[in-house]
Amino acid sequence: MDFLTPVLEGFGVALQPMNLLFCLIGVTLGMFVGVLPGLGPAASIAILLPITYNFDETAAIIMLAGIFYGALYGGTITAVLLRLPGEASSAVTALDGYAMARDGRAGTALGIAAISSFIGGTVAIIALTFIAPVVAGFALDFGPPEFTALALLGILMVATLGSGSAVKSVVAAALGLLLASIGQDPLIGTGRLNFGSDQLFDGIPFVIVAMGLFGVGEILYNMESVRNARAKIPDVGRVYPSRADLRQSRGAMSRGSVVGFVLGVLPGGGAVMSSMVSYAVEKRVSRKPRLFGKGAIQGVAGPETASNAAASSSMIPLLSLGIPANASMAVIFGALLLQGITPGPLLVEDRPDLFWGVVNSMYLGNILLVLMCLPLIGLFVRIVRIPVGVLAPVALIITLVGVYTVRMSVFDMFLMIALGVAGYLMKKTGFEPAPLVLAFILGGILESAFRRSMRTFDGQLTGFLGEPIAATLLAATVGLIVFTILKALRAKRAKHQPTNETTPV
Amino acid sequence: MLISHHLRRPARLGRLTGTALACTALLATGCTVYGGSNGTGTGEFPNRPVEFTVPTEPGGSSDLVTRALARSTEEHLDGTTIVVNKPGANGKVAGNSVFRSEPDGHRVAVMPQSLFSIGPLVVDDPEPIELSDMTFIKGLTIEDYVLVVPAGSPHRDLDDLLGQDRLNYGTAGAGTGGQLAQALLFGFTDVPAADIPFDGGGPTMTAVLGGQVDVAALHPAEVMPQIEAGGLRPIIVFSDERLDALPDTPTAVESGYDVVVDQRRFLAAPAGLPDKLVDRLGAAADKATVDNEYETILENNYIRQWNAESAEVESQLSESRQRYATLSRELGVDLGGQS
Amino acid sequence: MSAPETRDNKDDDVPVIEVSARYARRQNVVAALVVLLIGGVAAALSARLGVGNLAEPGPGLWPLAVSVVIIAFAAVLLLQSRQQGDEQRFTRESLIVVVAVGSLIGYALLFERIGFEVPTIALLLLWIRGLGRQPWLTSITVSVGSCAVIYVLFISALGVQLPHIVAF
Repeated sequence: MDFLTPVLEGFGVALQPMNLLFCLIGVTLGMFVGVLPGLGPAASIAILLPITYNFDETAAIIMLAGIFYGALYGGTITAVLLRLPGEASSAVTALDGYAMARDGRAGTALGIAAISSFIGGTVAIIALTFIAPVVAGFALDFGPPEFTALALLGILMVATLGSGSAVKSVVAAALGLLLASIGQDPLIGTGRLNFGSDQLFDGIPFVIVAMGLFGVGEILYNMESVRNARAKIPDVGRVYPSRADLRQSRGAMSRGSVVGFVLGVLPGGGAVMSSMVSYAVEKRVSRKPRLFGKGAIQGVAGPETASNAAASSSMIPLLSLGIPANASMAVIFGALLLQGITPGPLLVEDRPDLFWGVVNSMYLGNILLVLMCLPLIGLFVRIVRIPVGVLAPVALIITLVGVYTVRMSVFDMFLMIALGVAGYLMKKTGFEPAPLVLAFILGGILESAFRRSMRTFDGQLTGFLGEPIAATLLAATVGLIVFTILKALRAKRAKHQPTNETTPV
Repeated sequence: MLISHHLRRPARLGRLTGTALACTALLATGCTVYGGSNGTGTGEFPNRPVEFTVPTEPGGSSDLVTRALARSTEEHLDGTTIVVNKPGANGKVAGNSVFRSEPDGHRVAVMPQSLFSIGPLVVDDPEPIELSDMTFIKGLTIEDYVLVVPAGSPHRDLDDLLGQDRLNYGTAGAGTGGQLAQALLFGFTDVPAADIPFDGGGPTMTAVLGGQVDVAALHPAEVMPQIEAGGLRPIIVFSDERLDALPDTPTAVESGYDVVVDQRRFLAAPAGLPDKLVDRLGAAADKATVDNEYETILENNYIRQWNAESAEVESQLSESRQRYATLSRELGVDLGGQS
Repeated sequence: MSAPETRDNKDDDVPVIEVSARYARRQNVVAALVVLLIGGVAAALSARLGVGNLAEPGPGLWPLAVSVVIIAFAAVLLLQSRQQGDEQRFTRESLIVVVAVGSLIGYALLFERIGFEVPTIALLLLWIRGLGRQPWLTSITVSVGSCAVIYVLFISALGVQLPHIVAF
């Protein structure tokens, strides 16, 4: 078991009291910055980067890894309590997490999210330690054709995620794809549908779409009925998840771990998709799919496990290729450069202490997060007891300011207000914003991957059939379509009445 | 005020808004706004922090370079500096923001050469940033391009590669030097080659390592670790001389193709910056670029110093633009734009 | 239009506003038409960008394909415009949203011109006191307090350059 030696030594490094302290500081700082809307993990790390300039390299990286995890969880807190997701993975958590909070189960949602993150992180780190070399090659097999097939499958899942009218869900998803195509053509660079605006030239940032449609839309919607403030305050209920909650989430967590680990290995888009795929899987597996979107605990447990497992397994491309898998990793490795270390495929061999120190400190960050969060949840859930008339405006102001700081642009504020109005109108007319927001994430991946494939195949659609992984995924997509249609037909035959139930909120 | 459960007179709210806005406007008259993207100040330079705008997201090499520069400039300027990231439109968003502000020396930007020399070849822009919109302060960095193939590739050298029936080449995006360099190279030889643009250097690396594309041109900082680890093989470099890091790799010119492409970055302020301030900022930046930390970052990223004065920056920009436009026209390489 | 029937359910935390089948249908038709319009405009704009072919897709190909999907499903929505059960009535209360959005636009307009402090306090006062009907004391405390917290958090602690007029 020679290969375990550096891993254990890495734990030795991470467990040194000073490093542990730095990790704790990082997690705390990250959580508080991550709570600010608009400041996702990457931005939080970038902002707090200067603090680490005077530390030694290992301590600096450990602290940054702590910030990463803390900020991830910070985003989950706002997603659950206020429906303000800071990044893609918490957008999914916002669906059922927020519904749970409205139901007086905010504590349960936050607790399950923390526990799921921990489980996801743990499973992925164990897998990373033992089978990383085996799966590393897998990442390289995933080129544009494979991503095309994967994103297509993803969009199909997203379009069927909604709990309301199916046609409206598809329309919303298609609008999300259109919104994603605004801005520079991903291959040629021409400006598209940006009405000559430089601000739209790079497209609309995800944060603005998610926070506008979900957060601002929700706040506007609540303002309308704000005078019924008496009835609007949900009970806090149980602060911690019960044994039954844990039992219900067990399956979701184990499936989420697998989904997250596998997708996280794929650089560029895999980790983003993991929480969505997990959510879709849970909804399909569930015996009560109707509960999804209305506070299904599996809808929080699965995606949270998956996104954290993906966050850990996205270290694998880094390990084998020396390529940061996401923006946060890019900033962390930018920090390595500042410390005079060039990250690359030889990093693991040259500096195993550093590499495994980082990986293991992420794991410890996860443990610290759980230990720290559970007592704090009692505090967080009190936020929902604040009257809507006070909470909504304050959350809105912080969101506006947070969005401004992303690109230092007032234009983005207007954009978010406009999307907020759209979110409000959608809610009033029975369109769910969720398929739109999720399709928005996948839209960019699908288009560029498809077009890259077509250029590689010289315009021959049949080229996809020559790629085994892509062909398999496409077959699964077709299978899913056929299955869905058959199921819908059977349901139609069984019932002649409209089956949609009234779903306020 | 009465608390009512139904809003009977929305007009009241409208009035309230109006009053609030009026008060707001009244209160704020005569105040000085600091920060933001169009702040102003009074008094001697520097009377507030000098803002260095980076046209990229945090974390990339140009962000790191700017941060190091800003930190060491601080010592030589008797003031504070801050770094603001304004990514977008290959640098145009940052440029528009900085170059439309007051030329008082408090706002400078680290701009890429590609926006001026390659951008016009790729995208038609009715309102581009002109060289006359800027006051050049100092040249900062030069980043080169290396043509690489995966280690398992059957192509050993350039002749092998150019003898193919068809090639797919990866680039880090439209309007990058890597795209231009390869388009020109394959344009010279009439090899049917399709460019596959990826979203930045990382994904391009993955694609070339995984054999999704046959070949790619990337910065040394991106490919050197993989070259050292044996994952990639360098074919040629697009610099005018061989690189210190790759002494055995020939240049494109040596191989008979007159393609010299690099990415340069420079410090610029809005047009009309008084000479006194140009000198002051230039002198501070000069001292900052010999700072140990700054040099270390450059070295670790295989970035070369570009010690150019104001006038030299301007001539380099117009010369490279001219050269690239002429070359692509002569070779019949169409990158999408008009000029 | 008939008056909204508001049933304030004691158990449910949201007042359910019942919508007549006719109202819901009309709303769905309007929604479908708006979507149809978006799809149409997007399709026209995309077509102008150049569609190209599969080997060399132009910038307009993908948005055009998406627009066609939007138009198709908007048409389906138009045909199946019967009540789905998730439509909600726009009431006079909806005017609050208009005022709220107006104030947000004003906020964004003033933000860089006069610094964030004054607009922040003004907007919070308007929302908390004017729209939310909270007591004056709460309104003022929360408004000024939030403004101070944002200042300390973003400008002092994180070094983010918000436009501001109060300098230390």
